[in-house]
Amino acid sequence: MNAKIQVLLCKCCSEVPELLNIAKLEKLASESGNVLSVMTLDALCDGKELAMVVAEARIKEIDRAVVLACQKKDVSPALIKAYKRVGVNEHLVQIVNIREEVVLPHAAEQERAQAKAQTMLLSALARSRLLQPLERSSEDMKTRNVVIVGGGVAGQAAAKEAAKYGVHTIILEKTGKSVTAPGVVMPHATLIGGKGYGGNFELKIRVGESLEDLGAASVVIASGGGWSTLKGALAKAVRGAMPLYEFHQKLHAEQTSAGTVVFMDTPDPAGKTLKVQDYAWDETLETAIELKRKHPETAVYVIFQEMRASGLSELAYKEAAELGVKFVRYDRSATPKVDPKDPTTLSVKDLTQGDELKIRLGTMVFASIPASPDNQIIAEALRIPMSVDGAIRRGSIQRGPVSTPKPGVFVCGSALFPKSREVAAAEGQAAGKLAGEFAARGSIEFGGIVAQVTQEKCSACLTCVRTCPYEAPFIGTASKAEIRVQACQGCGMCVGICPSKAIELHNYTDDQIMTESKTLLGGDF
Amino acid sequence: MPDTRPKIVGFCCERHGMDAAVLAARSGKQFEASVRLVQVPCTGRVDGMHILRALEDGADAVFVLGCLEKNCYYDTGSIEGRKRVGYVKQMLSELGLEKERVEMFNAASSNSWVFPEIVAKMVEVVKKFGPIGGEKR
Amino acid sequence: MIVAKRKPLNEIAEMLAPYKKVTVIGCRSCVAICLAGGEKEVKMLVSALKVKNKRDGRKQHIEGTVVERQCEKEWVQEIEAQILDSDVTLSMACSLGAQTIGDMYPKHLTFPGLNTGMFGVPEEQGVWSEKCVGCGNCIIHTTGGICPIARCAKSMLNGPCGGSANRKCEVNLEVDCAWAAIYDRLKLQNRLDLIESVTPAKDWSTSHSGGRRVFEREDAKLTPHQKKGKGVT
Repeated sequence: MNAKIQVLLCKCCSEVPELLNIAKLEKLASESGNVLSVMTLDALCDGKELAMVVAEARIKEIDRAVVLACQKKDVSPALIKAYKRVGVNEHLVQIVNIREEVVLPHAAEQERAQAKAQTMLLSALARSRLLQPLERSSEDMKTRNVVIVGGGVAGQAAAKEAAKYGVHTIILEKTGKSVTAPGVVMPHATLIGGKGYGGNFELKIRVGESLEDLGAASVVIASGGGWSTLKGALAKAVRGAMPLYEFHQKLHAEQTSAGTVVFMDTPDPAGKTLKVQDYAWDETLETAIELKRKHPETAVYVIFQEMRASGLSELAYKEAAELGVKFVRYDRSATPKVDPKDPTTLSVKDLTQGDELKIRLGTMVFASIPASPDNQIIAEALRIPMSVDGAIRRGSIQRGPVSTPKPGVFVCGSALFPKSREVAAAEGQAAGKLAGEFAARGSIEFGGIVAQVTQEKCSACLTCVRTCPYEAPFIGTASKAEIRVQACQGCGMCVGICPSKAIELHNYTDDQIMTESKTLLGGDF
Repeated sequence: MPDTRPKIVGFCCERHGMDAAVLAARSGKQFEASVRLVQVPCTGRVDGMHILRALEDGADAVFVLGCLEKNCYYDTGSIEGRKRVGYVKQMLSELGLEKERVEMFNAASSNSWVFPEIVAKMVEVVKKFGPIGGEKR
Repeated sequence: MIVAKRKPLNEIAEMLAPYKKVTVIGCRSCVAICLAGGEKEVKMLVSALKVKNKRDGRKQHIEGTVVERQCEKEWVQEIEAQILDSDVTLSMACSLGAQTIGDMYPKHLTFPGLNTGMFGVPEEQGVWSEKCVGCGNCIIHTTGGICPIARCAKSMLNGPCGGSANRKCEVNLEVDCAWAAIYDRLKLQNRLDLIESVTPAKDWSTSHSGGRRVFEREDAKLTPHQKKGKGVT
């Protein structure tokens, strides 16, 4: 084993020596195999000692480091950069968190803390000897296209924002409606398939009757919600039911019919298939106010379980009431209903007054919509996950509120969950920014801590292919699994699940992990 | 003097798992000094083999700590982690060994109280069942 | 493929308890794919047994390995030394592998670590269901591609039994009635006329009921001249 290890002991500005015997750690390090340099530092995060560290590293021809300090994120960026200058591979710099795993939480147990620190040092050294240098690669993006699925509020906002990055925005709008946005707008265009990975997607789109290929660096899904769909038992039973979106449009076009208008928070008051959505109150209040202003003589009811107008929309609640809109609160034990023999009369028990109201309907307008059926098609085309209620699912919130789990694919607006126009536009901007910035990079970087298949061991069982959220494993031309490194995120899920142990994760191999674990268990407790 | 300290190994993901441990420490929380942590990129990387080997190598109890399932950095990693732990528990049960010795936990990086609670739980398990057996402890 | 399931570990531990040196042999083929006996399962089993031995204070040497396909003598022969060096071999392959080792080393003890199983397909990741029982005379071209021998609890040949209700089997309400499925399939294919034709009683002699079966390909067999000099017969 030709490892040449440098051990750095950071005192964390004297926090560490208050509890631990640094001299003992130094001695243990210098007496360990492959350790050519041991340095004790005051404050690695400060940066001032880095020059000293790399000077020594260069002289001793160090190729890897074990650093006893605090959390990786705080220490490593500057350290790795410094080490790079003297040829130490970034993946051979191991940070051991002595501060938060030993010094801080075991303040009253000096002896045991010392034993733990020593064991952690030996364990890190054992692992270090097994590590391999890893290189990252890069690949040019074939296009600067940001493809935006949907030319609605969110899609247009996304295009506008993305365009600021000098990329080429292409909106796929499934209808023929006019869309105001920079870049290209393709009417009657839908996304039906896509291969590839973030930076280099190969999409398949249908434009009118023909199928076309379209390359993309990043994709924004802004396909909206099922605004025209009414799903729910009550909506089915009522004569004159309409989704809020449709009523709003009719109101604008002066096409509403006469008669009482009842706004309801959801077409599914029992809440079995559709929850009341956040935007429902704001948009309902706005529309009710507009209606009352235009047609003051029309009786307007707003029927709801809870009134959750957001922020300043609370004032709309007040305004609506002052304009004569009648608010009726119900609860799920007695939901509004229509008699099947008379579908134009709505019965509802008003919780506040205690009265049973019978309202003769003109129109009944429902907020809260199901997800758009387009989501299924898009999710299958790009193989991204959906939520249980049919929306495009967001990835971990750590990756941002508009990112899907697939790098390079973003989602915004009502495709994510139904929301008001303002919020949809804001999300569109966010997604556009991310997609535009991503595409503007011009190339993608990958590699380093990624998975690799040893094909002789592979049973081609497809378990890895089915498990990976990023489509990195695939069955290649040798009829064995291969890893598409550009897509691999280095999580190791496929590695942990492979029944034939054919896949390893670089620098987190079974041998490395179990050696670390075994060494940790070997010391004093 | 016989060493009766619990030997506990924790496999923590380098996202929320480790973050929760770090935050606990930074918040001044104290916990059992015989915990030894192994960091992995994601609890989805944890193999049932790693857990069993840790028990073989002397651990009295092993826990796996990952992101909350709905917020896993790698989307489905901590779900996988849970399944692996579940399978090992099943194996231990079949052999008449205490399945409580192996446990899956989830945390968000902002939960400063979770990590000490996890350690305390595992310490209780070891107190209740003692070392696995055979070795002079 | 062949689908097998690992025996309960207490059963395995009991089987192996009297022996001092155990070798566990897995397989990279069917049992790896159905997650019962691949390298991972072997390693986990070995580790679990060692932990159990710690509990019981038992001194036992256990090691494990994997071969490509345990039902092929050539592959088994590659690990002959490891097999013969042990007191007992636990096969983590299907019974075909366990028996192959047994046949090759008849004085040696070879025990099955798995319960084999069935011919099954992965319905989804982690779920394998039986689709064929190897009756030796396939008739699925007359049943829309669905096998009534395997999928009907009573192996009916001419439609469902009287207990079929709501498209479910009366023997197990969670199982679809195979004949309901066959009907739907034939309807889809516009071949419902097939259901109306009567299939006579099955000749089971081609199935296992007719005794152990041997399939041969004359043109693939090695002639005595070819066999000369080849170590494995």
